[in-house]
Amino acid sequence: MYTHNMLEILRNLWRRKFRTLLTIFGIAIGIFAFTVMGSMALKLNKMIDGGKKYITGQITIAPKGTDFMMGQMGAMLPVDTLNKIDKVEGVEAVTGGIEMSLDEPNPDDPASMSFGIPATIEGMDLKTDFKNRNWETMEMKEGRMIKEGDPDDVIAIGSTIALDKKWKLDDKVKIRGREFKVIGILDKTMSGPDSYVFMSLDSTRELYVESNPFLKSLKEQQAQAASISVRELASLPKATRDQIMQAKAFKMEDLSTMGSVSWKDGVNSEDVANRIKDQFKDEVIVLSPKKMGEEIDKASAMMNAVILGGALLALLVGSFSVINTMIMSISERTREIGIKKSLGASNRSIALEYALEAGVIGTLGGLLGIGIGVLLIVVFNNKMAETGAEIFLLDFTFLLQVLIFSFVLGIVAGIMPAIKAAKMKVIKAIREM
Amino acid sequence: MKNVIEAKGLKKIYKMSKTNIVHALNGVDLNVEEGEFTAIIGPSGSGKSTLMHIFGLLDKPDEGTLIIDGIDMSDLKDKEAYKLRAKKIGFVFQGFNLIPALSALENIMLAGKYGGMKMSERKQRAIELLKLVGLESRMNHKPNELSGGQQQRVAIARALMNKPAIILADEPTGELDTKTSLEIIELMKKLNREDKQTFLLVTHNMEVAKDCNKIVEMRDGKRVS
Ligand SMILES: Nc1ncnc2c1ncn2[C@@H]1O[C@H](COP(=O)(O)OP(=O)(O)O)[C@@H](O)[C@H]1O
Ligand SMILES: [Mg+2]
Repeated sequence: MYTHNMLEILRNLWRRKFRTLLTIFGIAIGIFAFTVMGSMALKLNKMIDGGKKYITGQITIAPKGTDFMMGQMGAMLPVDTLNKIDKVEGVEAVTGGIEMSLDEPNPDDPASMSFGIPATIEGMDLKTDFKNRNWETMEMKEGRMIKEGDPDDVIAIGSTIALDKKWKLDDKVKIRGREFKVIGILDKTMSGPDSYVFMSLDSTRELYVESNPFLKSLKEQQAQAASISVRELASLPKATRDQIMQAKAFKMEDLSTMGSVSWKDGVNSEDVANRIKDQFKDEVIVLSPKKMGEEIDKASAMMNAVILGGALLALLVGSFSVINTMIMSISERTREIGIKKSLGASNRSIALEYALEAGVIGTLGGLLGIGIGVLLIVVFNNKMAETGAEIFLLDFTFLLQVLIFSFVLGIVAGIMPAIKAAKMKVIKAIREM
Repeated sequence: MKNVIEAKGLKKIYKMSKTNIVHALNGVDLNVEEGEFTAIIGPSGSGKSTLMHIFGLLDKPDEGTLIIDGIDMSDLKDKEAYKLRAKKIGFVFQGFNLIPALSALENIMLAGKYGGMKMSERKQRAIELLKLVGLESRMNHKPNELSGGQQQRVAIARALMNKPAIILADEPTGELDTKTSLEIIELMKKLNREDKQTFLLVTHNMEVAKDCNKIVEMRDGKRVS
């Protein structure tokens, strides 16, 4: 293996400053695109991963007819069903919960109905032994998640909520007429949790009852009905008696619009989800973690395609300019190659030297491209940080990989011209002198 | 005396087209003894350079045998040729002999690298050689900062780097003025006298050729004397 005079390579590049610079720019443009797109994809992938953790950490049950995307929430999930699901093989725990829209519907302002995932209150049963498997790993941007023992009036919010409502940490905010304190804001996940307000289940139930005239009156009747003794009840007409019986049976704790199911350790969550699906297909819809995970993976695959596309673009733009420059350099340096060969340089040595020169050009272009990319990313991220929507992730390992990539790109593009140089007939080179 | 070069019946043909065939060498015999200073003269196109390239292992004859420093080159592979070239042969060409990006010292050291010399040794020997050709004060100059005569001195120093069996100089003074030419030839003669360095020199100048050990005259690819 020959050690090549790096100084000679740098001097050769310096002697042709203008052309070298042009080539470096050519590569830098490609590498710049690669850096920026890659950093964006890394960020998106990370966000998506956060959402995936939440979604795949539990089996979610909703009453038949629920359309998650359109936000048609509100149908009730009977407590009986939840209790029965609890008995299904492999199920560890089931908890009821309430999902309801954050804002009171405003029929006068249809614009308030937005596309995508609507702002949702997620009632969390903090006392249950049910655990979303990846719950603790949800990343918080600020503050913390609500937990058992917290007062009823604290909430944690998703990043989209924080952005849209301009709610900040420690803010006192009004939701459906009640005041809550924001104690945590989640990292962006590019999925459901971004539009969630995490609230204690008790508070959510109260808001839910408030929003539903039927339940509201039932609750009011219940207080009165409780004071009616069995003997008094027996003396009432049947219709009235039924109504009071219904009011007496009403329990706030039984109110659920959705259920979360966790599975026992070592059990395949997909099997559990399928079992629930089979047994309760007329009553509920089941969102299985694996299916949801696969959907999300499809989205990440898209992101990775973006990275790959960026890399290919960089490869194309960069290598053409390297190949062009190297061919020019080599035809200019025919004489030099002839001299070196007459001094006893092997073909290998000549080829290596030119490939290395191309590699140096690649690396310089890479450094420039990465430099400009990082600069842009930092500026953008700082700007976006104010709105809480940074879209780039600066990852040192990735940047290093890009730099190595640009070196390899230079070498690869330089190989053909380098071999051409090495194979040059010395006589021809010398006779041209 | 030992022969550094033993060539017999060397032929080289260039086929330009079916009808146009150039016999660049048409059966050349030549022996060069160790320590000799041999001059080759002859008109342009007589095959002098072709002969030098074959001796320098840069080209192969179509016919004939060649022994350099006791090694038969008949079935030499390209892969071995460059190593032998680095160790046995020193070249000085007509002009623009040096690598522009490298200083005088680095140009000389480069030959040491290809000759397999150790890094530490290279610099020391290169400086010695620069002293020998009287250019130690210019060792960090680039070729374009040196005169034509100085460049050829560096080229001669570089040719000496690996202590070659022979130095092949193909019209080394072709682009120099008369005075400088004579200085360069005198340097080579001095190296021949004092260090017994074997030289094979191609020249147009009969003055230069006159006091050489041997004069070989070429015409139409053949030796005429
Ligand atoms: N690569 C080549 N292709 C065709 N003809 C060549 C080539 N090299 C040399 N010749 C011819 O061979 C003959 C000898 O050339 P050369 O050895 O350079 O002569 P000299 O050095 O004596 O001037 C000339 O007629 C020249 O035109
Ligand atoms: Mg010639």
